[in-house]
Amino acid sequence: MGQRSAADWARLAAPAAIVMTIAPASYANRYLTVEEAQHLAFPEASQFVEAHVVFRPADIAAIERLSGQRVHTRGQQVWKALVAGRLAGFFVVDYVIGKHLVIDYSVALALDGRVKAVEILEYREAYGSEITSHHWLHQFDGKTGRDPVAIDKDIRNISGATLSSQHVTEGVKRILAFYETCLR
Amino acid sequence: MAGLRRFKLVAIGLLGVLAVEPTSARAVTPEEINQKLKALEDEVRSLRQQLDAVKTNAAPAQAPAPVPAAAPGGAPPDSPQPQPGAQMAPQSPAPTATVTNKDLFGILPSPLEGLKIGMYGEFKFGKVQNPDANGQWQLGADMARIVLMPSYAFTDSIFLYSEIEFEHGGIAGDEDDKSNGAVEVEQAWVDFKINPYFNIRSPGIDLIPIGYTNLYHEPTLFYSVNRPALATGLVPTTWFQPAMSVYGRVVENLNYQVQVSASLEDFGNGIQSRPDNNSVPPFPDGYAPGISGKDALVFAKAPNGDFRQLSDVLATAGRLSYTPPFIPGFAGSTSLYYTPSTTPRGAYSDTGLPLRRSSLTMVDTEFRYRVPETGFEFRAEYVGVFFGNNKNLRANNDSDPTNNVGSAMYGMSGEIAYHIPLGRALGAEWEAVPFYRYTYQNLQTGGYRGSDLNAPTGSGQQQIQTMGLAVFPTKKLVLKLTYQNVIDQQRGGCKCDYVLGGVGFYFN
Repeated sequence: MGQRSAADWARLAAPAAIVMTIAPASYANRYLTVEEAQHLAFPEASQFVEAHVVFRPADIAAIERLSGQRVHTRGQQVWKALVAGRLAGFFVVDYVIGKHLVIDYSVALALDGRVKAVEILEYREAYGSEITSHHWLHQFDGKTGRDPVAIDKDIRNISGATLSSQHVTEGVKRILAFYETCLR
Repeated sequence: MAGLRRFKLVAIGLLGVLAVEPTSARAVTPEEINQKLKALEDEVRSLRQQLDAVKTNAAPAQAPAPVPAAAPGGAPPDSPQPQPGAQMAPQSPAPTATVTNKDLFGILPSPLEGLKIGMYGEFKFGKVQNPDANGQWQLGADMARIVLMPSYAFTDSIFLYSEIEFEHGGIAGDEDDKSNGAVEVEQAWVDFKINPYFNIRSPGIDLIPIGYTNLYHEPTLFYSVNRPALATGLVPTTWFQPAMSVYGRVVENLNYQVQVSASLEDFGNGIQSRPDNNSVPPFPDGYAPGISGKDALVFAKAPNGDFRQLSDVLATAGRLSYTPPFIPGFAGSTSLYYTPSTTPRGAYSDTGLPLRRSSLTMVDTEFRYRVPETGFEFRAEYVGVFFGNNKNLRANNDSDPTNNVGSAMYGMSGEIAYHIPLGRALGAEWEAVPFYRYTYQNLQTGGYRGSDLNAPTGSGQQQIQTMGLAVFPTKKLVLKLTYQNVIDQQRGGCKCDYVLGGVGFYFN
């Protein structure tokens, strides 16, 4: 009986032990760090200079008008990507709500405002992680503030990840409007 | 000496006054004062914004905290100049933007950091053919459901989610209230987010991961007023049970969930019909089947509370969902559910013989395909339910020869929809989606075994045609109109068509 109980306990504890082994090596559902995403987007960059743009009311109005999205922030975090001391583009970290939780994502912009890359940095929702697919994210490449950047127009919806794909698309559209308003 | 020093001080003071006074008198015009006040106001506003940025730290509790990656160094010669007034602070210590959260229903800031509440609901109205009134068309309405979705982030990796549902107008005891609905905990679980490949969902109330509609049934995600027919019997949505699971990604574009849950049980009476010994009512009282050739699995869900389940076995379900990158716009899933036995404690036939175990296996596979660059969308689904030993099902031993169950049940459906942009009006981008869906299901296949006479009426073999229009003023709001026609094999037909309108919404 004693031996059998020990075996049972071992069986029960095994999954927890595996989890505990894995857990310290991981951090929630992070796909990329900011630094990794920066170097993916600007592999030639030697320096990223962080800046924090604080919006004026007029900026918020302009971004909302251009993007059709509400601005819930009072500023935007942005890095300047420098190649040999010269500006090569911008790297913006932003977030949107998926269904309930925050999705961290980044948008890399060329100097002319075209999207170089969109990456999901961290995805916390139980469902809808299909939006981390690079095939889906590559749809944003080359988009500018003059493109629709809208689900079912020039961006495909992902059934089963409807809210996440919709909200990330809206976020990218807002970032493009931010470029037109504050960075161009 | 002291007098000389005092004289010098007074002289310096007088010279200072003489030197300053004319300038001051000349500069202090009302315009200049206004300009200075304006400059001060701007400075105060700027400082206040920076202070807010530090205080609120960019986001709600679950907000990202990106690692500052700025390299030291000043702005390069060709650094961008922000638009006038946009204040750009190089190497700002503020981690991200300041956020005004709208975590309560998307309207108000949450009073508790990490708490968020969303809502969805649907209202239906129209004419329904009543088979119990010889197919008479009857006008009616139904406040079908309002669902509140409170969630709370304990940490960035531990997350509580719940859904509290009010169905059919809620419940009330007084005669004048005339409410006979339900208040239910539809979901309540805690997720421990380990990594993209392996996450743990705590024991709680959770949806069974079968098909698409059971997991995603907000009214903005399907086009008919009522849910698709396969999701109203063969898959008894909303199917939520005591359960725990693990889930994550297998590889990019392929996700999994494996769940253990309270088993379906072949007992169709309500919770109040379970005696204190937590068994079926004693022989010869009899009881209704949970699984039948008329209603499929609608009445087979186990209770979710008070330890009133009638089975000592657990069910296992698994689901693979996929979005193959070589077919853009395609999403699908394949699910499997298995329980070793659906037979409740103390089950018996009307002849008094005990009913022994009967396993149940359910297979579901479905896809949704929005064809890129067009308005077309296609959906299809197959559901099969297989019984291990159907001679032990209550429906085959309850003296009713019309509700018997064969060795299996199955159904399939195909749907075509077309998305038509309607343009912008009332501040929203409208879209219309006409659709048509064909469903065939057979709840009474061959292979019957049991003590009943076998005289199925044919009501379980149905062809269902559903068509209508869904208009989306926004992605979060839908107005629906649906006509459904049902043809079955019983004498006189089903007499259960409907023409319904509906309003559905979802927001968070």
